[in-house]
Amino acid sequence: MVRGLAVVRGVALVGLRPLEVRVEATCSPGLPVLKLVGLPDAAVREAGERVRTAIQRHGLRWPGERVVVNLAPADLPKVGSSFDLPLAIAVLAATGQVPMAAASRTWACGELGLDGSVRAVTGQLPLVAGARQLGARELLVPATAAAEAALVTGLTPVPVTDLTDVVAALEGRRPDTPLAPVRPCPGPPAPDLADVRGQPLARRAVELAAAGGHHLLLTGPPGCGKTMLAERLHGLLPDLTTDEAIEVAAIHSLAGERRPDDPLRVRPPLRAPHQVVSAAALVGGGAGIPRPGEVSLAHRGVLVLDELLEIPRAVLDALRQPLERGEVVLSRSRARVSYPGAVLLVGAANPCPCGHLGDPRRACSCRPDRIERYRARLSGPLLDRLDLQVALQPLARAALLDGTPEEASAAVAARVAVARTAAAQRWGAARLNRDVDAAVLRRTTARPALARLAAALSGLGASARAFDRMLRVARTIADLEGREVVDASHVEEAVAYRLPPVPVPA
Amino acid sequence: MSVVALQRLTREAEELAAPGTDPAVLAALLAWTVRPRRTLEGLRRALAARGAPEVPLSEALLAEVRQHLAESDAAAASRLLPRWRARGCRLSVVGDPGYPARLAEDWPATDGPVLLATAGACPPAAPTVAIVGARNASSYGTGIAAWLAEAASAAGVHVVSGGAVGIDAAAHRAALEGPGGTTVVLGCGHDVAYPRGHARAGGLFDRILVGGGALLSEQLPAVAPKAGIVRARNRIVAGLADLVVVVEGGPRSGALLTAGAAAERGRPVLAVPGDIRVPGSAAPNRLLAEGVGACTDPADLLAALASDRVAAAATLPQAPARTPRAVTVLPGEVHRELAAAWPRAVPGDAVIHRSGLPAGTVLAAMTRAQIAGEVVERADGFVLRRAPEADGK
Repeated sequence: MVRGLAVVRGVALVGLRPLEVRVEATCSPGLPVLKLVGLPDAAVREAGERVRTAIQRHGLRWPGERVVVNLAPADLPKVGSSFDLPLAIAVLAATGQVPMAAASRTWACGELGLDGSVRAVTGQLPLVAGARQLGARELLVPATAAAEAALVTGLTPVPVTDLTDVVAALEGRRPDTPLAPVRPCPGPPAPDLADVRGQPLARRAVELAAAGGHHLLLTGPPGCGKTMLAERLHGLLPDLTTDEAIEVAAIHSLAGERRPDDPLRVRPPLRAPHQVVSAAALVGGGAGIPRPGEVSLAHRGVLVLDELLEIPRAVLDALRQPLERGEVVLSRSRARVSYPGAVLLVGAANPCPCGHLGDPRRACSCRPDRIERYRARLSGPLLDRLDLQVALQPLARAALLDGTPEEASAAVAARVAVARTAAAQRWGAARLNRDVDAAVLRRTTARPALARLAAALSGLGASARAFDRMLRVARTIADLEGREVVDASHVEEAVAYRLPPVPVPA
Repeated sequence: MSVVALQRLTREAEELAAPGTDPAVLAALLAWTVRPRRTLEGLRRALAARGAPEVPLSEALLAEVRQHLAESDAAAASRLLPRWRARGCRLSVVGDPGYPARLAEDWPATDGPVLLATAGACPPAAPTVAIVGARNASSYGTGIAAWLAEAASAAGVHVVSGGAVGIDAAAHRAALEGPGGTTVVLGCGHDVAYPRGHARAGGLFDRILVGGGALLSEQLPAVAPKAGIVRARNRIVAGLADLVVVVEGGPRSGALLTAGAAAERGRPVLAVPGDIRVPGSAAPNRLLAEGVGACTDPADLLAALASDRVAAAATLPQAPARTPRAVTVLPGEVHRELAAAWPRAVPGDAVIHRSGLPAGTVLAAMTRAQIAGEVVERADGFVLRRAPEADGK
């Protein structure tokens, strides 16, 4: 006798890419065992035990027959515990305990406890967003994650706390109170630029980096305020829009760094991994489907790499692709995934192995060839992408005690916002000067002056490619001045952030 | 060793021998020295112990090595020749016309090398000054070295130094375009790229050769720059010069060796006074305490050369008339700051702070000045490339 075939839909994630998974269940005469097929991993295989116990403990019936559950497409590896809920619904539908028609229209994701309660899983937010992308209109979600799910527009989350709620929802009995989405949270106040004494060069570079999204390299002896400046640069960035904040939250959720009941952060992320970071931790990786790394966790925000030259070169070179394309593509035997990774990189480094090159207070004890080798660790292609390079000097005590107030972050942030708006209006779609194509960029420059300058600079060892990158910074300088055309003086200033001070007398 | 092998080596050495150098002597010396535990310096000592030879030096040398010719190795010597040839070197033996006469004075009592490999032109007989100092130099040191070397070269004085980074390089760079020219005494063989930055294509050494200067080495082509070898070349620097000026150096600086070697030859030494609190001033300040003259101006240098070479005083040009310099491209207040600090560098932050101009304006001006060659950016800040005129120097 052929009995009903129940189908419930769930979502599998390959990176951030959602794929529809049909959970099919049927009962047939035979020994009362659960047969789970369709490449389940260990967590999915254990779902059988969880679901069976949860159903029984909730006063529902587990069939005394052979139950076969298939997760289709059968060749896609399924990971995690988010299939518990669709599996339970499919079994309940196959045994006639919930309406078959309602189940076949249902999308669900969530983990079941042995007591039948429904819990949120790692990556709950990208699962919800994924279901929306796949065409779901309604989704059964754990009640704890409902407010977060309500952030996703175009999809109605149906909160369920346990299997009783699930049965009620499928029978059409729903709570009619509309869900309030998670409120955006401004986060703690950022440290203020007014705390930075002196350092006019670095202040200028930080302002340019915030306005144009240019990567920044700060070199200087220990204690000259590199980390302090990096934090304040983060404070100058404008808040994320809600869509951007959801995108960022989804990545954090996937990495297990965000719980569903956490507030939605509208401040751009600030990540500062320690210098013994591995390549996998930095750009993403791991067994099976690669997980997002620090670059992706800092998406739309700031990635601070302190002691940049202490990071192994192979790890640094892994940064080149994300810095160029704004995303990380990880190809593994099991999967090829891409994560967004548009970060503003702030690198901090000592100028030489002992740290005191250029320090007026202490003589540098390094041999010139060691300095050269030390700097060579920052490979050429990566160094090329660090558009703003500033050598910091430690502050004299007089300047520290000097009472004149420095400009506060609020004033700088206002200028940054104006420049960003100008760039966004010119390029469209909130693009930063950092990401604009050089050919497009050249159309906004005063040509004859620049041609002369390019010729003069090639004599100083600047390549054409480097010149193009300098133009992006020059564009930002012009934007901060409110000028539409980039002229020679803008490029001259931009160049000053690129000509590296020669470690040996030139 | 067979006579045939030595004859073959002689023929091969012919094209490498400098004009006036006997290839047979060269071949015999090379075949003799390539064997282990033999040095040309030892040969000089053996000759010196016997007093000044009555015959020409090359004959005396030939007579000395002939005793051991049987144990010589012509094949090994012949393998060295292509390496010298690739570097465009000519070889000369002490006492030959292609060997700097000043270095050969009183040989073998003085310690000039027996053999000298020269890339480029042989150093001229013009008055010569050695400007030496530390590798780890401050902007003050390199600024002064460049100032002295440029003025000396402009006055027709040849500048020698050791080709190292720091003071040496600053002196070579400043001198290479002037009429005086410059010579490097390497601390290694010609076929060893050291210091790497100077030896690379288009680097300082290439520029010196293109500018008509020379690279000298007493070593076989593949000898690495070991400490003893690098220090030994300082005596050659001193031997080539009529005057040694020590600019900056630590308490154990090789510049002290150069000064010592010059004193042994009875040649004058000057020292540039340094900041007494900076370790890099130990060498010149110690020399000053020992009674050498102070060099505070290019005029001091030229005067010392003139008094030393009374006979040559007529040929020694006076300091050239000041050529009017191009107007500065820097804003006035920025130029004043840099000129006041010269030859010390001024950090960018300090320039911005003291001039009161916006950071962007100052940076753009600095780029213009670097393109114009007026300013150099160093690890410790910006510095004027030439001595400012305002102080009357």
